[in-house]
Amino acid sequence: MEKRKVQWRFLAVPLIFYTIWVIGPTIYTFYLSLTEWDGLTDPNFIGIQNYLDLFNDSIFYTSLVNNFIWLLIFLLVPVVLGLFLAILLSKKIRWAKGFKAAIYSPMILAPVVIGLIWSWIYHPKAGLLNNTLTYVGLNFLTRGWLSNPETALYAVIGAAVWRHTGYVMLLFLAGLTSIPPTLIEAARIDGATAWQRFRYIILPLLKPATVIVLVITMIQSLRAFDFVNIMTRGGPFNSTNVLANYMYTEAFRNYEMGYGAAVAVILFIIMFIFIFFYLRRIREEELSV
Amino acid sequence: MKIKKLLPILLVFSLLLVFSSVTMAETLTVNTYTSDPAPRKAMKKLVDIYEENNPDVDVQLNITAHEDFKKAIRVWLSSDDPPDVFSWFAGNRAKYFVDKGLVMPFTDVWNEENLDQKIPRAFKSISFFEDEAYFLPHSYYWWAVYYRESIFAEYGLEEPQTWEELLEVGETLKDNGITPFAIGTKFKWTAAGWFDYLNMRINGPKFHTDLMHGEVPFTDDRVAEVFKKWKYLIENDFFVENAAAYSWQEGLQFMTQGDAAMYLMGQFINDAVSEDVQKDMNFFRFPIIDKDVPVGEDLPTDGFMIPAKAPNPELAKDFIAFLASVEGQRVFAEDMGRMVPNKDVPDEVYDKPALKGKKMIENTDALAQFYDRDMDPEMAGDTMDLLMKFWQYPDQYQSIMEEMEQVRQKVME
Repeated sequence: MEKRKVQWRFLAVPLIFYTIWVIGPTIYTFYLSLTEWDGLTDPNFIGIQNYLDLFNDSIFYTSLVNNFIWLLIFLLVPVVLGLFLAILLSKKIRWAKGFKAAIYSPMILAPVVIGLIWSWIYHPKAGLLNNTLTYVGLNFLTRGWLSNPETALYAVIGAAVWRHTGYVMLLFLAGLTSIPPTLIEAARIDGATAWQRFRYIILPLLKPATVIVLVITMIQSLRAFDFVNIMTRGGPFNSTNVLANYMYTEAFRNYEMGYGAAVAVILFIIMFIFIFFYLRRIREEELSV
Repeated sequence: MKIKKLLPILLVFSLLLVFSSVTMAETLTVNTYTSDPAPRKAMKKLVDIYEENNPDVDVQLNITAHEDFKKAIRVWLSSDDPPDVFSWFAGNRAKYFVDKGLVMPFTDVWNEENLDQKIPRAFKSISFFEDEAYFLPHSYYWWAVYYRESIFAEYGLEEPQTWEELLEVGETLKDNGITPFAIGTKFKWTAAGWFDYLNMRINGPKFHTDLMHGEVPFTDDRVAEVFKKWKYLIENDFFVENAAAYSWQEGLQFMTQGDAAMYLMGQFINDAVSEDVQKDMNFFRFPIIDKDVPVGEDLPTDGFMIPAKAPNPELAKDFIAFLASVEGQRVFAEDMGRMVPNKDVPDEVYDKPALKGKKMIENTDALAQFYDRDMDPEMAGDTMDLLMKFWQYPDQYQSIMEEMEQVRQKVME
């Protein structure tokens, strides 16, 4: 009993802050999403009108689809590539440390900086990408990567993938060190092929790391905002817009705070569903083991 | 004993309170968005002059970056402790605060200072709302087609006066491998400038104003004429490729490197080029398309307003009076090459390009601010997205006009 009280006392301070800065604003956002508010006068309660409007809003759908494309690519490319690199670099190969540092280094840079760097790489005239393509004779592939609505989204995601891969690799590398080498050695002596060792020993033992990687990847792709805002501002004409950026422009450019809040709530629900079910399944499996 | 100890502390505190409220009456808070180096310096200079004239007043100048200012001002104005004076934009953005009752009229200052005589009549329309003065115009700049004199000289080109002449100039430039127009549309408003000018030249300033205020549907046939002309330019390679990949400054590089010859831009284009290029830059009025249409120009005007809840309204009004005077305006003209409204500011403060700009404005029939300064912010933002779509798919201008109309109806309802 005494112990409990002490626990609560320790918890009280962070809890108060958490309530004021996180839970409170979240609840307030839910309320705002039911109002029409310009940020100046008092909010005007309009029920679920904002949500009804959202369902007829083509930009909302574009942003939603873009978020899912982002999620899909993020689950495929950086995760697979990161795992591959982690396994490769956990072997005793030359310069492994240098490669690790090089691949992880984009993570140290702020997304804003990476967005700017990649904007230059994609620069139609002076950019690295188009110039390299021209140099190797692939002129027909050159284009305005960020100004063409067909390529812009993938160009932005590409920059984000570049940053995320190193992070995934690092998490997998950490997971790999926790696998006792004797186990893999034993499997090798028993005649397991490289694929079998990976499939039946490394992958199952990597599960805790994989869970973290997947959750972080999902969150990263759903909260995508910085790259979009820096590289294209959601343009050209919303072809690269995502929910977080749409929320921002509605609230702070169009001064439709209520409508922006409604977008935020939808984003919150999507994230919540994903993460809630995923974590619950993981827990169930852990308990059943 | 405790009370005895507390007493002196309380005394000190109450003294401090009294003291601070006394000094507060002498402090004038001014918030501005003059954050670029040159405007920042000019604004500070203005405050210094005012403080010198009024030794008993302490001016607290807070400078915030442009975009941040636009967000923060909404919080300041609705709070109980706003600044006494703040810098702001003429047009719809000023009207917005007037409509919400967040700013204070200063018609008394306007009359006392006899500003009707000092400030040209055209500016009164952006300063007065329902017969009360709310906005003090302080400095402005013009838009024009800027061009490289050396390129024009090399191919024997003259400043085009009409649409046909402009097209001819463009063809000559293209024949010589030079793109006629530089532009960077990443932030969209540069394209809105083209819409402004094409619409004003084809349909006249009156129609343009009505359209900006949302009083005419975007599906109007007259708007289609704007898109047809614009479509011709886009489809015939009058603009640099991949414009949407560049900010306006990045787009400018085509011009500084000599790959493009012209740029439709505001006077602040000179802030972004090297001195060498500056010497080679000249400008001409956007060519006349229809002789019978009155000439309108975009003339974005910056000025000052007083919040409704300003703590020191009397002091604020005194500062406004100062800002309206010759002394309070000439710094912006002298140091930054901007134009200022006060007619008593002598011509010698202007440099040569400014005098050319002044002359151009004097021969103008009507003034507009700028696309996103004249329009409701939401309507401006969403229709500018559609202008970007037009830029990519000029063929689809009819469906784009319909989409723009949907935006108008949503905003106007």
